[in-house]
Amino acid sequence: MKRLQLQRWSSTALSPRVRTNNRLHQQLYSTGLRLQSTVSPLQSESTISENVEDASFQNPDAMRHIRPQDTIAISLSPVEAATQSAKLAALHARLYLPSRLPLQTLARTLVDASADSNVDFNNESLATLGHDLLANYTSEHLICTYPRLPLSVTFAAMYAYVGPKTLAAISKEWGIDNATVPGGEVDPGFLQFRRVAPGTAVEDISQLQSARPYADQKKWRMTVSSKIFYDDEFGDAIKGSVALGQGVTDETARATFVRAVLGAIYLHAGRPAAKRFFEQHILSRHLNISELFNFSQPARDLARLCARENFEAPVAKIVSETGRKSRSPVFVVGIFSGQDKLGEGSGSSLMEARERAALSALKGWYLYTPINPRVPSSMEEEGAAPWKPAHIDLGEVIV
Amino acid sequence: MFPGSFPVGVSKPCKWVNLKNTSVTTMPVKAIKTISSARNGVGAFILQCKRLDFHYCNFGGSSRGMLSFLTKDLAAFAREHPQIEIRVSPRPAKHPVIKGHYINGHEKAICVRNLEPSEIMKKTNILKEANGEKLKRTKKPVTSLNESVRGIWSPYHGDLRGV
Repeated sequence: MKRLQLQRWSSTALSPRVRTNNRLHQQLYSTGLRLQSTVSPLQSESTISENVEDASFQNPDAMRHIRPQDTIAISLSPVEAATQSAKLAALHARLYLPSRLPLQTLARTLVDASADSNVDFNNESLATLGHDLLANYTSEHLICTYPRLPLSVTFAAMYAYVGPKTLAAISKEWGIDNATVPGGEVDPGFLQFRRVAPGTAVEDISQLQSARPYADQKKWRMTVSSKIFYDDEFGDAIKGSVALGQGVTDETARATFVRAVLGAIYLHAGRPAAKRFFEQHILSRHLNISELFNFSQPARDLARLCARENFEAPVAKIVSETGRKSRSPVFVVGIFSGQDKLGEGSGSSLMEARERAALSALKGWYLYTPINPRVPSSMEEEGAAPWKPAHIDLGEVIV
Repeated sequence: MFPGSFPVGVSKPCKWVNLKNTSVTTMPVKAIKTISSARNGVGAFILQCKRLDFHYCNFGGSSRGMLSFLTKDLAAFAREHPQIEIRVSPRPAKHPVIKGHYINGHEKAICVRNLEPSEIMKKTNILKEANGEKLKRTKKPVTSLNESVRGIWSPYHGDLRGV
């Protein structure tokens, strides 16, 4: 497979100073102002006005890396600090990050957009990339490993693997500490973000940005399948980014950091390294998917399922029982479809045992796993075996 | 038999939901939101000791071994363990101390007064290998998040014994 030119593709995500080995860029940006890679220097007014007059900076988007005067006061630590920070080097080694990922980029992943609004120097672009990678890798793993999983459970499993709460927990397990307040004197090994002002309602932090018609009507019924189209990967309404000047919560900042680390690994060390990092840190976590189900009427669902799949109608039979007349009876009930036992459960009443049996039958169906499931992204590896189509299921029963 | 009611048990019929009456489409299965739990070492292994502080005194005799350790052995130790942040700072007129800071927020301190450099290295390794939690006795040989493969013994399965 042809080697991919990651540096060329990633140039939009990295800051102008990090773009390397490109003559066009060297000429465009060789103003001699900033030889640092990830942080803006302090600029006097005269240099800013010179740049503004420069014909090549007519585009306002190209001007974003020039800081307005008021933000210079909180300019974050210079790039030399990243190479000299023991904390940052220890973090790099603790996560076994590839040596191609420089400390400067790792320092950048620790700067939240609320601490430095300049998109060339905060972790926003890296986090966007990391977020997409996480969502892609997790969803393909879940869909290929459990092809019959109901959609609502898939959303919950996605949330359990790469939801903001999990990512925040991961960053804590990596030993990341918060800086009290972002600033130039802070060690670059700390996570820097501006906190939400106390007393702010969590709903007010970011505005709802859903494309769903009538998104404000909270009480209206929403189908699960419409969530694929309108909502994010967890089935929740899409929120816009935090307004400028407003802080973020600890959980959001930490989740953004973890996503940014994955994005940085992808950009600097390539796809295999990013995938390996994902498998080692995200997929290796423990999640019992059978505990995510919450059935309301399992017996009814099972009857529907058997009808759809042309199985014989399910019949519940007592397998064994004890103490029917006592104060603590136990019934073991099996659910049979013809000669086949679909599930079994025990309970202290016949109804309870039957519900449990139906539950185990449904879970047995929904948690089916093909032998040696493969994900589409495994085809990107060198020397991958020919692709066999993954199992696509009809989906959950509709009642 | 389907749709309609069908029996629980062999003789006793029981009421199942009449499917004809359930005209309202409801979500058949809802999901419970939770988060996955970490298993350190299953995928990646994160060393739990994140920082070691070495305190010494330039004057006191109890720091003699510590001073020798700091000048001769510490650089090699730090090179072997890049994932640990190491701080060395004087603490005049006090015994030498090594403090370990852990990812769970706890810290452990060992006083190394009058110890030889080799003994100090042993103490440093103790702090490096600790996970920061209080020492506790493990009674079970295996601790696992996974369910037992064999399952829990049930008196209602298998051969029934006559009384």
